[in-house]
Amino acid sequence: MRNLSSKSNRNRKWIVLFLTPVGVLFVAFFLYPIVFVTILSFMEWNGIEPMSFIGIGNFRYLFADSVFRTSIQNNVIWALSAALLQIPLALVIALILAREPRGWRFFRTVYFLPNVISLVALAMMWTALYNPEFGLINHLLERVGADHMTRNWLGEIETALPALIFSYQIYIGYFMVIILAGTLSIPKSFYEAAMIDGANVFQQEVHITLPAIRGIIITAGTLAVAFALRQFETTFLMTAGGPANRTPVMGLYMYRRMAGLTYGRAAATGVLIIVLGIVVLSALQRVFGKADAVEDARQ
Amino acid sequence: MPVARDALTETPLAIRIVARSAKWVILVLYLVIAITPLLWLTVSAFKTNLEIEIAPFSLPAVWQFRNFANAITISGLHQFFLNSIIVAVVATTLNLLVTSMASFVIAREEFALRELFFTATTAGVLIPIIAFMVPYYTLITHLHLFDRLWALIITYSAINIPISMFLVSSFMKSIPRELEDSAEIDGCSFVQRYWRIILPLARPGLVTAGTFSFIYCWNEFIYALLLTSSRSARTVQLAIRFFTSQFRTDYAGMFAAIVLTMIPTVAVYIFLHDKIISGLTAGAVKG
Repeated sequence: MRNLSSKSNRNRKWIVLFLTPVGVLFVAFFLYPIVFVTILSFMEWNGIEPMSFIGIGNFRYLFADSVFRTSIQNNVIWALSAALLQIPLALVIALILAREPRGWRFFRTVYFLPNVISLVALAMMWTALYNPEFGLINHLLERVGADHMTRNWLGEIETALPALIFSYQIYIGYFMVIILAGTLSIPKSFYEAAMIDGANVFQQEVHITLPAIRGIIITAGTLAVAFALRQFETTFLMTAGGPANRTPVMGLYMYRRMAGLTYGRAAATGVLIIVLGIVVLSALQRVFGKADAVEDARQ
Repeated sequence: MPVARDALTETPLAIRIVARSAKWVILVLYLVIAITPLLWLTVSAFKTNLEIEIAPFSLPAVWQFRNFANAITISGLHQFFLNSIIVAVVATTLNLLVTSMASFVIAREEFALRELFFTATTAGVLIPIIAFMVPYYTLITHLHLFDRLWALIITYSAINIPISMFLVSSFMKSIPRELEDSAEIDGCSFVQRYWRIILPLARPGLVTAGTFSFIYCWNEFIYALLLTSSRSARTVQLAIRFFTSQFRTDYAGMFAAIVLTMIPTVAVYIFLHDKIISGLTAGAVKG
């Protein structure tokens, strides 16, 4: 016994030492920023002179600014289209692949490929695809005789935001992979029992698969919405918020406030991104039940 | 799969035919949508500018390999490649070193606040890191790291802590204790247990975490934009942003440069896609 306790005392030093690097980085890059950004959101600060407390002045400024309201609205549109288009598409493809048709591993591997390419490169690629002169999309429309549909996709007010969202949400690889994994983990015996009862493929999907992967679908939806709130690169590089300030998102708005040395307003925007994320997460959990999003998101 | 085939034979013929053809239409259609743009970009990178404009759907008459040499000369991409490699390799190494130390303690030792430490560090994945633009900027400036590669190295290795902690510690928990027990009887110290026994055994977990970290570091844009300003600390992703003005109307050159920037992560994916996909699903499917 004596031996054992002295050993654990000796180890205590090492335990502390081994946890310190992660601890320090976690405090510096996760805990301190939350506290700092929250405090700063109630301050006026240009980064040079001392901060001064202005209460909810920054938030009042944000909601009075029509560009910020457009930004929030655009984030909501991003989120809705993720929930209504991106996730259902990922779900359909995952359900097909879960039946393990010929070559399903190949499809899974190729479908996920764009997810390892940077958003920057993809944004440049899509800017070229949408290009009114040499872009592939207008070329395709001309080829099939739909010349009247060609347009300057990123330059026109009606098409700019949908074009941005499409270029990002067409890549479903990540959601497809987690939904597929969930579906593959359903015991095959469930389906055998259903077949004895004479259930066809669609009935099996509706009555067995969907209830079984409910939690993962909700997790995927929650993550898709969370990603929608973090948008930056696609908009920044493809339209920079234009045309006529129609496409900005909160991340871009925050970057602009920083560039303008109004750090308090930038921090207030950051706080709203975090708060909105928490609101959406808890709202989804209230509506659909607890999905263990925290567990699942920890990849 | 026998089950899937049986399922289909139980289904009426009409539904069976519709289901089967709809299945392949969807799979192939999505394959085309997901991959055509990338193929178009890659093939266009080998064309002349004239071919890109007048023959968008055909292969190049002569494959213009010199587009790539030109792209490097015009953009100075080699320097930014070096910066990106340094940042990605050092940040990933640092991240794996610190998270494997902490994970070792979490997986093997009993101490107060163990659960809290693990929950807090892994829950960090839910935080929208983009909201920390101001704090990271002021932190890096105060550390006198602004516009230096170290700014990105430290930031990236910290941002990847949640994912690595989760992957590495769950892997370490799955390693049987017997080896360590006998090693301890042989007088193996705490540090030796970590360095000589657990770390080599945890290699598969470290490879998965390292792959995620490398891809993240290579592709990261927002904090590279915010925490650096000069060419000396410019990474590949930032360099892409300047292509439009550098190449002007030389689209072939620009496409070649973009294709070059994709090679490292695509190569990693080709060699390690099983690791990546199993790493992603480790969290999604529990028990």
